[in-house]
Amino acid sequence: MTGVAQLLVNGVALGAAYALVALGFVLVLNATSAVNFAQGDLVMAGGFLAVALAGLIPLPGILLLPLVAALMAALGLLVSLLAYLPLRHRPPVSVFISTIAVGIILQNGATLLFGPEPKAAPPLFGGGTLEIAGLLVPKQSLAVVAVAGLLILGQHWLFARTQLGRRLRATAQDPEMARACGIPVTAMVAATFALGAALAGAAGLLLSNQFFVTPTSGSGLILKAYIAVTIGGWGSVPGAVAGALLIAAFEVLVSATLSYSAATAALYLALLAILAVRPQGLFGEAARSRA
Amino acid sequence: MSARKSTLFAAAFAAALSSAAGSAAAADLDIPVLVPVTGFLALEGTSQRNGAVLAIREAPEGVTVRSEVIDTGTSPEGAVTALERASGRGTPTAVAASMLGTQMLAMLPLADEYGIPLVTVSGTASITERGNPWVFRFFPGDGVTKTAHARYVAEELGKRRPAVIYQTTAYGQSGQAHLRDAFGKLGVEPVFEEGVDPGIRDMLPVLTKAMAANPDVLVLHLHSGPTALFVRQATAMNPGVPIVAGSAMHQPSTAALLEPAELRGVCAETSASPVSGGSPEMERFTAEYRTAFGTEPDAFALGQYDGIRMVLDAAAKGADTPEAVRDALAKGTYRGLAMTYHSDGRGNMAHSAVIVCYDGSSRVPAVVKRYDVAP
Repeated sequence: MTGVAQLLVNGVALGAAYALVALGFVLVLNATSAVNFAQGDLVMAGGFLAVALAGLIPLPGILLLPLVAALMAALGLLVSLLAYLPLRHRPPVSVFISTIAVGIILQNGATLLFGPEPKAAPPLFGGGTLEIAGLLVPKQSLAVVAVAGLLILGQHWLFARTQLGRRLRATAQDPEMARACGIPVTAMVAATFALGAALAGAAGLLLSNQFFVTPTSGSGLILKAYIAVTIGGWGSVPGAVAGALLIAAFEVLVSATLSYSAATAALYLALLAILAVRPQGLFGEAARSRA
Repeated sequence: MSARKSTLFAAAFAAALSSAAGSAAAADLDIPVLVPVTGFLALEGTSQRNGAVLAIREAPEGVTVRSEVIDTGTSPEGAVTALERASGRGTPTAVAASMLGTQMLAMLPLADEYGIPLVTVSGTASITERGNPWVFRFFPGDGVTKTAHARYVAEELGKRRPAVIYQTTAYGQSGQAHLRDAFGKLGVEPVFEEGVDPGIRDMLPVLTKAMAANPDVLVLHLHSGPTALFVRQATAMNPGVPIVAGSAMHQPSTAALLEPAELRGVCAETSASPVSGGSPEMERFTAEYRTAFGTEPDAFALGQYDGIRMVLDAAAKGADTPEAVRDALAKGTYRGLAMTYHSDGRGNMAHSAVIVCYDGSSRVPAVVKRYDVAP
């Protein structure tokens, strides 16, 4: 039982970081109906940005976090200006391809700037392991869960309680009506990309300390985010978080009882089963129409 | 012919001879570097590129080398395109060819058709098993390194119950097969074996299962990032058994991901460890590499450096065509920095491996055991 608990402790930390990736993905999806396939590479970029900043300013990760998020928000803004806004009236596949292109540019840019070696950002508070109720819990895992939780709650607060959040939601639900109501839709879309990239940056910093960062490490993450969002329900923020935690726990437990290969196969089988029974995902609405 | 005319003729003939001799000594070579510097093998490929570039920069006096680095990416077609492009302006004298086995397999037929020696540090066994006379491997294959790996575990550490964790890539599966074979010859049966995808971020599940099999040593054959991840998580969980890792662990960039204390007692197999020093020549190489590239060299860089140095050495002795270089590599012996190289008749040039161990006080390992395997 202790073994399972120990595995779940790790699974929760991993799931929390996956959730941040998935959240950024859902944000852009909700605001634009576009799938941002560069989201995983934005996480990678955030990881390398944290590594670079740590080289310039030797501070603990928690103090670098706001700086990384702010710089990544600027990058997200740039992505929206170059890869989404000029193509928004074109067929959806144009945006699909342009975000893939952004991802490849980020990967190769990271290789040029940082080289191919795996790198690690500084820990949020410090390294080491705590023993809690017989479980060995890395301090970084606790910090990851805490910071990810705060960011998720912060995002919920932003959308539910602020004027900006209401405008963002209005833009997501019906851009034409939002525009008619005087909401600057283009600015809202750009803000969404910025917010999504800021979350990706935070995830990058959190992940790159524990799991390291390489120019190609974002590729696997986007797949996990995609699965999390599909399981949770497309467009559902709580669904994305739940989906991310579920797949992390699922992976960890099946890997420990069977094998990693079995876990991967089982994950995709479970995805197919969920889609067969609930095509809208676990938290999605049964029917959804988009403007 | 008058005496004066005879003298002029003799002088002109002597000058012509001298000029011909001079052009033979001043070889003009074309050695493109076709390696993966982007994609999942970029770390190893960049080391390979750096080793080749450094060797070319240090070409012997009288040897002029024209070279170009072309990124092959990680696809077979990328490698073939790069070789076609490099051959577009004439047949290269030799090529520093990708260390990725699938790319080498794609390049081999073309090298055979065009007659180009491929100098590589690829570990994939089959590239030298196809009877292609144009391929030369300056890194020990799995048959050499995994034998050393298993022998160190069984003979030096006296362990009989290894848990083997390997990568699910072609690299990992080849290593696992050779490890199993090597352990079998030593009468050792692994108590646990499992493949891990390179994208896996949590090593605790495999560590938990491995420890449930009650091993007396953890044997890794993983890429760089997963190796560091495993060592870190294993250290945190304190499994109480030693770790003997694959060659990725000896790479300075892998060790840089871990604190020295996390590395205490961890060992690894490799062909050489340049940062560990050992000879003035090795220390000179390491210093020049650091100056040139601002990073630490590993065994892949050193293997490719030695390989290209052997080509240049042959050229300095008059081998300035692809055929002559091929013959020199196939029949000659070269004392490189990592070891002495000579072909086993199939292009396998490297027949030594070493074990390095970290003492917990630094990220520089010490060479603790050398294994020379008769070809």
